[in-house]
Amino acid sequence: MAQVKIGGGQGFWGDSPDAAIHMVRRGGIDYMACDYLAELTLSIMARQKLTNPQAGYARDFLDLMREIAADAKTRGIRVLTNAGGMNIEGCVEGLSKIAGEKGLSGYKIGYVTGDDLTGKIDELLASGVAFDNMDGAGDFMEIKDKIVNANVYFGHEPTLACLGEGADVVVTGRSTDSALFLAPVMHGLGWAPDDWNNLARGIMAGHLLECGGQGAGGNFDYGWRDVPRMDELGFPIAEISNDDFVVTKAPDCGGLISEQALKEQILYEVHDPANYITPDVTVDLSKATLTQIGENRVRVGGIRGKPRPEMLKLSIGYKAGFKVATMLSFAWPDAYEKAQAAADIIMKKMKRKNLRAEDVMIDFIGLNSLHLAVADMSPSRVKDLNEVVLRIAIRTKTKEEAGKIVPEIAPLQLNGPPGASFFGGRAHVQEVIGLWATLIPRGSVELRSHILEVR
Amino acid sequence: MAQVYLNRIAHGRSGDKGDTSNVCVFARKPEYYDIIEREVTVERVRAHFGDMVRGGIVRYDVPTLGGFNFVMKHALGGGATHSLRLDSLGKSMASAFLRMKIECELPAGEE
Repeated sequence: MAQVKIGGGQGFWGDSPDAAIHMVRRGGIDYMACDYLAELTLSIMARQKLTNPQAGYARDFLDLMREIAADAKTRGIRVLTNAGGMNIEGCVEGLSKIAGEKGLSGYKIGYVTGDDLTGKIDELLASGVAFDNMDGAGDFMEIKDKIVNANVYFGHEPTLACLGEGADVVVTGRSTDSALFLAPVMHGLGWAPDDWNNLARGIMAGHLLECGGQGAGGNFDYGWRDVPRMDELGFPIAEISNDDFVVTKAPDCGGLISEQALKEQILYEVHDPANYITPDVTVDLSKATLTQIGENRVRVGGIRGKPRPEMLKLSIGYKAGFKVATMLSFAWPDAYEKAQAAADIIMKKMKRKNLRAEDVMIDFIGLNSLHLAVADMSPSRVKDLNEVVLRIAIRTKTKEEAGKIVPEIAPLQLNGPPGASFFGGRAHVQEVIGLWATLIPRGSVELRSHILEVR
Repeated sequence: MAQVYLNRIAHGRSGDKGDTSNVCVFARKPEYYDIIEREVTVERVRAHFGDMVRGGIVRYDVPTLGGFNFVMKHALGGGATHSLRLDSLGKSMASAFLRMKIECELPAGEE
């Protein structure tokens, strides 16, 4: 019976390559998909490309391919990735150089362009697109001239077309993470684009795998102490056919494929479980089941599909001011009291400098910087701390405003409460990128599939 | 009746989409599902987070997984790079959520 075996090789831009390398060598997989794009990654890449036209994609992917391209080609493993980011051609060029160096003649690189609509905003406005903010209020005209990038999330079609042309690797921009998994499963099993129940299963395979280690015992709240060999954590692999859908991992690596581990991932970043909307299919996972059927083997059932939406999500990054976070540490005795006094001194100085901030946040690392209002700040808890780190973060309209606080932290070592210790150098002011998500009609997007054959 | 931290009977994970945080919460044992269903209401969650969560909260029940998905809007201090929070993506929202204290009767030997 036909079966596709696909692995999730990367969970984000900056992930460890170890599990991907291991699953290519030992996982017995047919495909590996590597996700590099979180919500704001494309905005970061767009800005990198502005200062360096050669940049704007996930170079980590090239480092990974240098390790595995030859191995993958020999084993017939085809690789899919959205590492192309804002510079797909640049990524493809780098990849073709690597294929050349490795002597992989006839290596076929598929790539997909057309998701970058940054230059087409006016055209879309003229065609009647409203650009309403999916997350609430706001006037699009106020951010229109501050746009850094606008990329549409797209589904399996152009990636599937590249596979149909025999691509050994497919590089895209803002493909959804899950479509990078669905396309090869459709290619392998011959599913129709309106076979909603099967498409939903393919998307769920992608959803469970797209965060790499999080689907194999990483970030595992239920019982993290019981996850074997986290230093060589394997990433999840899905075995999927018309009749079955099992998540497992490669042999001889760490990690854990259990019902609880997959439960934590299956609802991760899902909103309404009965309507998980993707460009390919609307998935109903409200009756999903997870069943342990062997060691590190879990069967996924109860996934249903409904027709795909008519609109696609356009994610727009725009310049939204500046921010900076500063830190200063204090030790026993009276560490918390000293840190509070230091915060008071700094904010008085800021008042004298006439700081105009949009937002100010003062908290104490070691006490409440993560749990905020929910943290236990009772007198017995804050008394007698060994140490604490004061953190002051501000958000401003201009870079100069944010810069006002930067030189005021280190001097407190000599000018403030005793025992202050400054570390990490002066804080860097960062540009804030806001996110504006909206819906556009499918018809306004023109994606193109290409093949480059390495000679 | 004992007062316990929710994380004694539940486990979970949090994720982000813009300024929206989702926390999925699962019963550590099947018999705890009903306790969570009864105790961890939207009202309780709102009171627990106070100012940390400024938008609407919705609970989706997923009994086949023994769990619940809580979707909380305007929960991440502006979301993404707008947020001044150290944990701007809300990776620790799940543990903050599970720090809620609930009333429940634990089986003998588990008090």
